[in-house]
Amino acid sequence: MDQKTAGLNITIFFCQQLDIDQDKNRRTLEKELGSQIRFFPLPCSGRIDPLHLLRALESGADMVYLIACPEGACRYREGNLRARKRVGYAQKLIEEIGLEGARIELITGTAATPATIDTIARELLMRDATVGISPVRSKG
Amino acid sequence: MPPKYHIETSQVPNRFQKITRSGIIAWEEGCLKCTRCVKKDCVYQVYEKRNLDDRQMLDSLDSACMDCFRCVQNCPNRLIHKGLNPSYKALGDHYWTPEIISGLWFQAESGRIPVSGAGYGGPFSGPGFDAMWTDMSEIVRPTRDGIHGREYISTTVDIGRKVMAIGLGPGGEIISQAPPLVEIPLPVIFDMLPWSPPGDNIQLSFLYGARALGTFAVVRQSGINPAVREFLPHVIIYVDGNPGDLKEELFSSARIIEIPDGGDPIALQERFKSINPALVVMIRLRLGPKTPERAFALIAQGAEVLHLVADEYGLEEGSDPLFIKERMKEVHLHLVDKGVRDQATLIGGGGIAMAEHMAKLIICGADALSIDIPLLVAMECRVCRRCKEGIACPVELDGVDPLWGSLRIANLMAAWHSQLLEILGAMGIREARRLRGEMGRAMFFEDLEREIFATMGKRG
Repeated sequence: MDQKTAGLNITIFFCQQLDIDQDKNRRTLEKELGSQIRFFPLPCSGRIDPLHLLRALESGADMVYLIACPEGACRYREGNLRARKRVGYAQKLIEEIGLEGARIELITGTAATPATIDTIARELLMRDATVGISPVRSKG
Repeated sequence: MPPKYHIETSQVPNRFQKITRSGIIAWEEGCLKCTRCVKKDCVYQVYEKRNLDDRQMLDSLDSACMDCFRCVQNCPNRLIHKGLNPSYKALGDHYWTPEIISGLWFQAESGRIPVSGAGYGGPFSGPGFDAMWTDMSEIVRPTRDGIHGREYISTTVDIGRKVMAIGLGPGGEIISQAPPLVEIPLPVIFDMLPWSPPGDNIQLSFLYGARALGTFAVVRQSGINPAVREFLPHVIIYVDGNPGDLKEELFSSARIIEIPDGGDPIALQERFKSINPALVVMIRLRLGPKTPERAFALIAQGAEVLHLVADEYGLEEGSDPLFIKERMKEVHLHLVDKGVRDQATLIGGGGIAMAEHMAKLIICGADALSIDIPLLVAMECRVCRRCKEGIACPVELDGVDPLWGSLRIANLMAAWHSQLLEILGAMGIREARRLRGEMGRAMFFEDLEREIFATMGKRG
């Protein structure tokens, strides 16, 4: 894969309601990238806690994505809205300690084009990297 | 009365958090800051002990919650929700269901029989082993209780060939030779895994477990290494390579050797027995439509033990495969018809996922059975089969501590043993040997359906 984020450790939290076959769909990527990519399914993106995002960075992730359902399509009505607030809060926290806020990003799909988790992940991997290796990781 | 066979159990905690059936979603926002928060009222202190496992990003809220729903009901602003966990629904597959996997986890962690609560909501029949009901007519007799009661219920079975009649010489002396027989206290042996993460630790867990329980674990000839040699009295060596490569010392320490069917297994059996006559030789056959005839032919030639294996879903080979219980019944009855059933031991394996399957397969004619995947599940396997595709195991089974693994296996086997005792006690049977082939003490859905509906629609 022509990955633009090569060398970066990517952690992806995602709402499982997005892709029923997520467990099978993400296997090819897991095989290709090994420990460089970690997927954490959530029953709803609203289940995310800023602690999840911070722990992911602490345990060696360079980029942390939260993939949520499109607005208005949340199974629990407002889970994705709450997720947005929490991602904002976590970004503010990491900025306070000198990390780039862009290391945490919320991705929302569009209801018109539902995609599988591996397609979304591949798109994210193909994007130009806005951040480098995390100082948390480089300092060991 | 001999001492009861007892398996020591202990609470053996999980290394990873369990994937639970339901999950808590605590919204947090909109909190009214009540003076008496429902989270503080939790009798299990789930919220106070909350932590996050950063290997899996799983919240301890879910694994510690006992589903009492007190917090969900009492939060005035309805901020706490519980929903079905999609990760739980995604566990395993159509055969190794989330209910089976989580039941095995519970048994391996605690060593206790899983109790589902008051009443059973059904379904009352299904495919495979679920199309079979055992006769529990003696369930009301508390003295038959094998776990706590006064009567001794034995789960011991023999592996080997049996003599049908004692031959006497002219002076009345016994001239017939008794073939070697190996006794196991539980009708279970540990088989090779259809798939597993790499490394020796899983196999070592099986071996420690087999030794502690007094049973056997099947190990490939190619997998015999110095660590395995220590366990040879509890190893069944599976000859998957050149038999000539097996060192003589293995024959003196091992008690059972398994050979694949194909070529001339009886000649190979004789060759092994000429080196060590005390050795029991087991022949491994893949279950299929021709198994009944093949089993009879092998027993007629002197086979001692036949290990009949189905795939991990309990299906035999072939285009229209039968489930293991159907073919096992057929093999057993065929051998009974031919008058040779009691001469040899039949071990069945493949698709054994629960304790009840153990009793049901014995009723269908197996003397004992071999299990594989449940042992891996005891060590927290999620039956995701990522290892089969070369992807890292999500619960790091390759690095499992063999002692921890063996304790989990012992717990699982203790729970299965207790359940077997329950079934035997409820059937009024006092030993597992007597359960074999007791098809009259069971009902089969297909038979009942045929008996009830076969005549319907027929005129005259």
